[in-house]
Amino acid sequence: MRPPHPASALDPASGSGAELIDQLGTALYVGSGLIFLVVMALVIYAVLTKGRPVNARYWILGGGLAFPAFTLTVLLMYSLAVGNGLNAIGSSSALQLFLDCFGLGDARARTTVDDVLRIHVVGKQWWWEVRYERAGQSEPVVLANEIRMPTHQAVELVLSTTDVIHSFWAPSLAGKVDMIPGRTTHLRLQTSEEGTFRALCAEYCGGQHALMALFVVTQNGDDFDAWLARQQTSVVEPVDPFLKIGYDAFFRGECHSCHTIRGTPADGTSGPDLTHVGGRKSLAAGTLNNHIGTMAGWIAGAQDVKPGNKMPSSLAYSGVELRALSAWLGSLQ
Amino acid sequence: MSSGASPELPNSLPRPAGEFDRLRAVWERPKGWRVLTQVNNTAIGLWYIGAALLFLVLGGILALIMRTQLAVPGNNLVDADLYNQLFTMHGSVMMFLFAVPVVEAIGILLLPAMQGARDLPFPRLSAYAFWAYFVGGLVFFTTIFFDLAPDGGWFMYPPLTSYEFSPGLRTDFWLLGIGFIEISAIAGAIEIVVGILRTRPPGMTLDKMPIYLWAMLIVGAMIIFGFPPVILATALLELERAFHWPFFLAERGGDPLLWQHLFWLFGHPDVYIIFLPAAGLVSMMVATMAQAPLIGYRWIVVAMLATGTISFALWVHHMFATGMPHLSLSFFSAASMAVAIPAGLQVFSWIATLWRGNVQRATPTYFLLGFFGVFVLGGLTGVMLAVVPYDWQAHDTYFVVAHLHYVLIGGMLFPVFAGIYYWAPMISGRHLSERMGKWACAIMFIGVNLAFFPMHIAGLLGMPRRVWTYAEGYGLEPYNLLSTIGAFLFAAGIGIVLLDLMLHFRPAGKVDTNPWNAGTLEWLPQDEYAIRSVPFIDSREPLWNRAALRQEVDAGQHYLPGTMTGGRESIVTSPVDARPEYLLRLPGSSWLPMLAGVGTAVFFLALTVKWMIVAIAGALVALGSILMWLWDSDPAPSGKLFDVGGGLSLPDYMSGSRSHSWWSVVVLMLVDGSIFACLIFSFLYLWTVTLSGFPPESLDMPLVGSSVAALIAWLVVAGALFAANRALGASRRRGVIVALLIALVAIWLAFGASLHALMGTNLRPHLHGYASTAYTMVAWQGLHAVLLTLMVGFSVARLSLGMIDSVRRNVFDNTRIMSYYCAAQGVVALVVMHSPRLG
Amino acid sequence: MMRQLSLFILLPLLFACAPERDYVPRVVDGDADRGREALARYECGVCHVIPGVADAVGKVGPALDHYSRRSYVAGKFPNEPDMLVRWIVDAPAMAPQTAMPAISMSEQDARDMAAYLYESD
Repeated sequence: MRPPHPASALDPASGSGAELIDQLGTALYVGSGLIFLVVMALVIYAVLTKGRPVNARYWILGGGLAFPAFTLTVLLMYSLAVGNGLNAIGSSSALQLFLDCFGLGDARARTTVDDVLRIHVVGKQWWWEVRYERAGQSEPVVLANEIRMPTHQAVELVLSTTDVIHSFWAPSLAGKVDMIPGRTTHLRLQTSEEGTFRALCAEYCGGQHALMALFVVTQNGDDFDAWLARQQTSVVEPVDPFLKIGYDAFFRGECHSCHTIRGTPADGTSGPDLTHVGGRKSLAAGTLNNHIGTMAGWIAGAQDVKPGNKMPSSLAYSGVELRALSAWLGSLQ
Repeated sequence: MSSGASPELPNSLPRPAGEFDRLRAVWERPKGWRVLTQVNNTAIGLWYIGAALLFLVLGGILALIMRTQLAVPGNNLVDADLYNQLFTMHGSVMMFLFAVPVVEAIGILLLPAMQGARDLPFPRLSAYAFWAYFVGGLVFFTTIFFDLAPDGGWFMYPPLTSYEFSPGLRTDFWLLGIGFIEISAIAGAIEIVVGILRTRPPGMTLDKMPIYLWAMLIVGAMIIFGFPPVILATALLELERAFHWPFFLAERGGDPLLWQHLFWLFGHPDVYIIFLPAAGLVSMMVATMAQAPLIGYRWIVVAMLATGTISFALWVHHMFATGMPHLSLSFFSAASMAVAIPAGLQVFSWIATLWRGNVQRATPTYFLLGFFGVFVLGGLTGVMLAVVPYDWQAHDTYFVVAHLHYVLIGGMLFPVFAGIYYWAPMISGRHLSERMGKWACAIMFIGVNLAFFPMHIAGLLGMPRRVWTYAEGYGLEPYNLLSTIGAFLFAAGIGIVLLDLMLHFRPAGKVDTNPWNAGTLEWLPQDEYAIRSVPFIDSREPLWNRAALRQEVDAGQHYLPGTMTGGRESIVTSPVDARPEYLLRLPGSSWLPMLAGVGTAVFFLALTVKWMIVAIAGALVALGSILMWLWDSDPAPSGKLFDVGGGLSLPDYMSGSRSHSWWSVVVLMLVDGSIFACLIFSFLYLWTVTLSGFPPESLDMPLVGSSVAALIAWLVVAGALFAANRALGASRRRGVIVALLIALVAIWLAFGASLHALMGTNLRPHLHGYASTAYTMVAWQGLHAVLLTLMVGFSVARLSLGMIDSVRRNVFDNTRIMSYYCAAQGVVALVVMHSPRLG
Repeated sequence: MMRQLSLFILLPLLFACAPERDYVPRVVDGDADRGREALARYECGVCHVIPGVADAVGKVGPALDHYSRRSYVAGKFPNEPDMLVRWIVDAPAMAPQTAMPAISMSEQDARDMAAYLYESD
């Protein structure tokens, strides 16, 4: 049964880099399994038989040298082909990429995609900032713990970090790439499948490394463009009196010193941008589903959910304020 | 002595009255509290193994707590903070306090027995290494009870582990805490390398060495070159933490990846430092259990040499996900795959040997079968991880956790446990329980597979490493539950072995048994003095080729049947063809190694918690003890030749490049030079990755005048030692002393001028990676200035007392070659420091 | 000495023999197993400690252990099944000052959750 948000190297999205690696993996499992069984059979037979003559050269040079050398050479070429092919994914199978090396298949289109969509992902203890910088974009689009991308188009994640080393890993989409202070690294993503995929931090990054996930939502191009356009809109002060209580509580409680909500005076940068927080899949970096209950619980108990994270548990709110604040943030879709 | 051809043995019967009693008396084990003063390898080796097994249990308990936490998703048995300490300690304890020590410990116990030596060449060094490790390791472990245990992972990647993100003492405990483990590993390596090369029995040429000696020789060499990167890395990180010198901070000319290069340049060879000794044990046991000589002996030696060499060329496979270009990764991918070839070669040699032989069905055989099953699978997943694109998925997931446990448990623990059942009779004179052994083996085999095979799948299903909890609903639950059950089963198997040891293992004095009908010397009759007499070796399996050998040796008919000089002694032979050269006079029991070891451990630990007075006291105790034991370590030559039998007469003293003391200093210099080379590498590496100038425009270059002065001073040091050497040869004692004192002054002038070359500019170590590495190079000279001051002072003192002359000169020679080395190092440091002028 | 020792041994037994509560509230149509699953799905554990529910260690609201022995819901309303179900579905409607939001859920989910809270004790 497929989980609602695939996050498995064994369950790759169609047309993704993970799919190529999975095909490579299958070859490895079958090959290794066979070698393992043969070697074990030899060991057991060798123990059971008594005093058989042995041709040392045949055993050592054949079994110990020639066979592994040949197998590993083929494997190395295969893996190089796949590794190179991951830069132009979506067109071939892993086997095809390998055959291309010998000129047996069609020459692979190696052209790098020009209209690649670049998405900046910044790792932080313990969440992810995601930025879209597209030519002609009026407002910056900054969100947290969620990436949206169009299907059937190459996307390049530009990975960096502002604190320690993290590693971006969406198992159903691609392999992982580290985010290293002082460097930017890159990861090519592509898929033809619409869905929501889970990604996580794969490099130990301190206390709450285990609770540092995000979701990658793949949509068709039109839906994606519509979403991106919507993300550029700003927030207006609410008219509903209950939501207004929440709005006021936000500023009374100093939330704005760490968070930005475009269209309001909130312009803090040390925490996630909350301009469209209500529309996201999760809170606390993939830790909680996003609904009014978890929003309230996170605001009031951030240190219970993820001890040691930079957001304090807010103790300043009355019950009504907490509910109103949660409702207002939830309304920022 | 070719087998049976010549019946004439070196010594005739009957042996003179009192010869045997004197031999037994000098090797007698001290009684009461004084058992702690033992330095004999049979005692130290056993303690060392016992301590390592204790840390195996402690590290294992940490693992069981982690597995209980991970049995179900969303568990709260332990929280993130404690879990992070647990996995850091588990990895550190298993690697630094169990795996490396246990293979060195087995070497200390077995090597002299296998090479017919009475002891290793530096018994007090082994004892010191053991005490520093045992006391330091225990105190390090207790940090987990005080919420002070390190929590940055055993790999300690900065910047997470630097001062900004890991304030407090936890990381310091790791960095300084493994300081003494590094020291004891190096001490062990010196002991093992010199021991194998110089204390073999006559006739045991390199190609007649038991294969285990080859394994340990290669491992010793690997420690010499493999530990320096981590020694340097830990020192740099501690400097960064304590004084904010940037080595790994990108914003000030450092690079976090420098740590990863240094750490894995150690970390990957370390895996083979753990595996090769076990492979050596396997080769020994396979031949005996199959009752057939090892097939492909030479190929196995070549394979182990290849493994040792290639293991230094594949550290980057731990860094495939750091975003390096695919092309550069492919080199390391190829190397990582290539290392599978020598492993495969060994596996096929073992299978061929089993095939040819008639295999004895006993517990060691069953553990060896377990080894084959677990290790081969681990090797195959290792090849998968060498495939770059596949590693991009599997890296840092439970797949890797599964792989490394398969390799280490299969490749090391199963052989070691096979070895426990195989060699226990050699120590205690009787077998462990066959029944318990078989049960333990079966339970461990099922447990290890149940615990770790599901982890492959969990990793591919998306479970990263080092997580204290995982989300429900991603299919991870059944695999984690199986792993937890398997872990407890595996622990139960280990428990049975330990119970068996407690019930049935009692070290005996005299042991005369060869239960598996083995062919190698450790199965000669053994006592406190090792074997009664040392046979000439003309084959790889002397016990198989000469039936009467056991009896002859025990009757004292071979070389050195008693004590010649009236003390403990062993024969030193030439390194390649094992021609006897001289008698090494071995030191006896002493409190000093223990005091020095405890002092060293106290120094490092007190330094960590900044109890400066305790730290200084510990350092003084350690230093004082070491100097006191060194004072006796160059005994006066008697000038006589001693007849050890068969017309072979040996002196009791040797100086120059044939002395074991010279060899040990050379090995130490190799370690020293490797650390320095890693520092140069760090400097050049930071230069190549720093885009904003190295040093940046705002910083000066070191002063040329002071640098030249330092250069000249180093040349004076070398010249003074050269002159001192001439003077000693001419027996002009005063001339030697004057030259040494000149050298001493020049050493400090060189250090001072080097320091001034930096201090006289606006370079300060905390400003930039250029400055921090340059200052570290100068600080390294300072450390050597202190060392040379001690050595020169020691030599001058002994010269004044007439304890150094033109014959008895090992102390002087050690000082001399160390001074040459320091001078060369100082010059190289100055040149490197100025090299960015060229760029 | 022996008496003290036996007391120590008997003490836990005494607790083990504590009288069963005489009244276990029943939730009509509530299924405790489904309720546990629903409590996890709505992540009630962010605010509450709920024994038997993974990761339910929140300190924002009161702990929900031994719920059948509680006299009041939210310190205000008699602890009866219908009252608890209403509270879970829409707490602010019953107590406007409460911090517990109304999470959109079916009444069936609330019944199941209530059943779990009562029966898990």
